[in-house]
Amino acid sequence: MSPVAVLVVDDEPGMRDTLAAILEYHGYRVALAADGESAFTAVQSESFDVVVMDVKMPGRDGVSVLQDMGNPPPQVILMTAYALEERLHAAVDAKAFAIVHKPFETQRMLSLVCDASQANR
Amino acid sequence: MADGPVDAPASGHRRRWPLRVTSAAVLVILGGAVVASSVITLNVIRHQERLILQERTGEAAAVLSNAFASVQDSLQLLGSIAGSGPGNRHLFVSSARSVLTGPGQGLLVTTQRGASMRVIAAAGAAPAVGQAIPGAQAQLGRRALSTAGMVSGLVQQGTRRWLDFALGGSAGPGTVVWWEAPLSQAIAIAPSPGSPWGYLDIALYLSPRPDPSALIVATTKHLPLAGVQYPFRVGHDTWLLVTASTFPLVGSLVKDTPWIILVMGGLAVALTVTVVEAQGRRRDYAAAQVREKTASLQTALAELQTAQAQLVRQEKLAAVGQLASTVGHELRNPLAVITNALYLLEVAAGENDMMRRHLATAKRETSAATLIVSDLLDYSAGREPMLAPVQVADLITEALSVVPPPAGVQVAGHGDPDLSVTADRDQLRQALLNLITNGYEAMPDGGSLTVSATSAGGSAHITVTDTGLGMSDETCQNIFTPFFTSKARGIGLGLAVTKRVVEAHGGTITVTSTPSAGSSFTITVPAAVMASVPQ
Repeated sequence: MSPVAVLVVDDEPGMRDTLAAILEYHGYRVALAADGESAFTAVQSESFDVVVMDVKMPGRDGVSVLQDMGNPPPQVILMTAYALEERLHAAVDAKAFAIVHKPFETQRMLSLVCDASQANR
Repeated sequence: MADGPVDAPASGHRRRWPLRVTSAAVLVILGGAVVASSVITLNVIRHQERLILQERTGEAAAVLSNAFASVQDSLQLLGSIAGSGPGNRHLFVSSARSVLTGPGQGLLVTTQRGASMRVIAAAGAAPAVGQAIPGAQAQLGRRALSTAGMVSGLVQQGTRRWLDFALGGSAGPGTVVWWEAPLSQAIAIAPSPGSPWGYLDIALYLSPRPDPSALIVATTKHLPLAGVQYPFRVGHDTWLLVTASTFPLVGSLVKDTPWIILVMGGLAVALTVTVVEAQGRRRDYAAAQVREKTASLQTALAELQTAQAQLVRQEKLAAVGQLASTVGHELRNPLAVITNALYLLEVAAGENDMMRRHLATAKRETSAATLIVSDLLDYSAGREPMLAPVQVADLITEALSVVPPPAGVQVAGHGDPDLSVTADRDQLRQALLNLITNGYEAMPDGGSLTVSATSAGGSAHITVTDTGLGMSDETCQNIFTPFFTSKARGIGLGLAVTKRVVEAHGGTITVTSTPSAGSSFTITVPAAVMASVPQ
C-alpha cells in the first residue's frame, strides 16, 4: 500500500517546511505548493489524498482552489490565521474536511490528516 | 405701590419684598421729602394764619379801645358820670357791641341841651359827635332822658333805633336806671361780613380771663377758646378779646397747599418708584435670561466637549483595536510555525530529559502567547460560533496537552468518553485553555488541577478546579469584567472572553472560590446544543 499523498499549500516557507517535516516523519508522502495557482495545477496533474491548505494566500486563496477542484476531489483541510467568516462559510459549503485556526496543536493536525485520508479510501 | 409682579424668570430666586432695594430706597427718600415738605408747609401756613389772626385781633382791639376812649372822653366832658361806676361799664359794653356788629349798627350816647338832642359819643356806624338827632330817634332819647336821667344810649341799626340804656336822672349821676340787656348776659351778634373782622369768631370777656360769667359778646355759639387771646385795658379794667378765624385767613388754596403737596408728591413718588421698579425688574429678568442662556450654552458646550472627547477616545480605541487585531492575526502564523517546530524538536529530543523539560516550557509559553492573541482577537472582534459535534473528553485531553503543567503541579483530566456537545471546537478549547492557564497561575507553589466533565440534567458540566490561592468575594465578582486582572501578568481578557464564548453557546459559567484553598469554575452548556454523536 502506497503512502498517503498529502499536498501542503502555504505561502509561508516556515509553515510549509515544518508541516512537511512532521507529516513525512509520520510516514506521509508530502508535496509542497507556495500559492493557490500552483496548488491548483498540482492537484490537476497529480493525485493527492489530502490537501492541507492555507486560506489567505497571494493570488487565488485556498477557498477558491477548493471550490474549483475536480472530481473526485481530495479531502481538504483548510488552515487560517484570520477570522474571514464569509470565506470560511464558503469553505464549509464547498465541503472542506476541516477548518483549523492557526496556530493549531500539531497532534490535532495529525489526527485530522489521518481521518481525512481514511475518509477517502 | 408697585404694579403686579413682572413675569419672574424661571430661575426662581425667592423674593420676600414686593420692591427691589433700589425702588424701596427711592420710595423712602422721595416719600420722606414729600412728607417733610408737606409738614413744613403746613407749619408755615399755620404760623402765617396765626400772625394774620393776631393782626386782625389787634386791629379789632384797637378799634374797640378807640371807641371806648372816644365815649369816655365825651362823658368826662359831662363830668357827672365820670368815674368807674356801673354806668361806664354799660357805656363800654354797648359801645363794644355796636363796634363789633360792624357797619349799619351804632351806639349814640346822647344828652339834652335845651330843646335839642345831641350826640355826645358814638360807636360803630353812628352819626358824628355833636350832630343833632332828628325825628323819632330824638323823641326816644328825650323820653329816656326825661324819665331816667341825663344820658341815654341809643342803638341804631339800619333805620331801626331803640333805647339801650339810660344813666343818671333821679337815681344820681353815674347810676344805671335802665338797660335793655343785663351785663352778665352774652349777646350773640352776627358781625357784618364787610367789617374788618367779618370772618372772625369773636368773644369779649369783661375780665382778663375767659370766664364764662364775664362773657358779654359772642359772635358764635362755639366760643373760640383756642384762638388768639388779646387782653386790653378799658379804664381801670382789663378785658379779654378772644378771636378765631372761621375761614382760612391765608386763603383756602394756601391752607390746602400741604395736602396738595402730599397728594401730588405721593403720586409723583408712586410713578417714579413704579418706573424704577419696572426698569429694575426688566433688567433682572434680562440678566436672568442671559444667565440661563449662558448656563445652557455652557452645558451644551460641556456635553459637546465630552462627546468629542468620547469620539476621540472611541476613535483611538478603534484604531488600537484595529492594530491589535492586525498584529494578532499576523502573530498567528509565526506561532503556528513555532508550534510545529517545537513538535519536531520534541521528536528529535528523544529521551533527553533536559531537552524535553525545556521544550515543555517553550510549548507552554507559546500556548500562553497564542491564548493571549486569541483572547485579544476574540474580544476585539468576537465571531459567531461555527457549530460542529465536539467530544468533550478529547477536547480536555487536547487542551491539557497544549499547556503542559508547570513544575510542582499535578494534573488530572477525565470525562465521559460518550459525552459530546455541539460547539465551536476552537472557541470551546480557548475557553478551557483560559481556565486551565488561570488554574496554573493560581498555584505558584504547586498543587493539583482537575478538569472533569459530567452530564446531568441534559447539560454538560465541564469543571476546572485548582488548589491554589483562591479569591476574595470582591475579586470573584469582577473576574469576568474585561481588563480586570488580579494577576501580575495578563491583560484581563481571558475570563471575559470565556464568559462570552460560553454564553454565545447558550451556556453559563459559575465560580466558587475559597481564599487559600482554591477555585472551581464550571462551564455548563445546555441541552439544546448537546448532541450524542456515535463513535
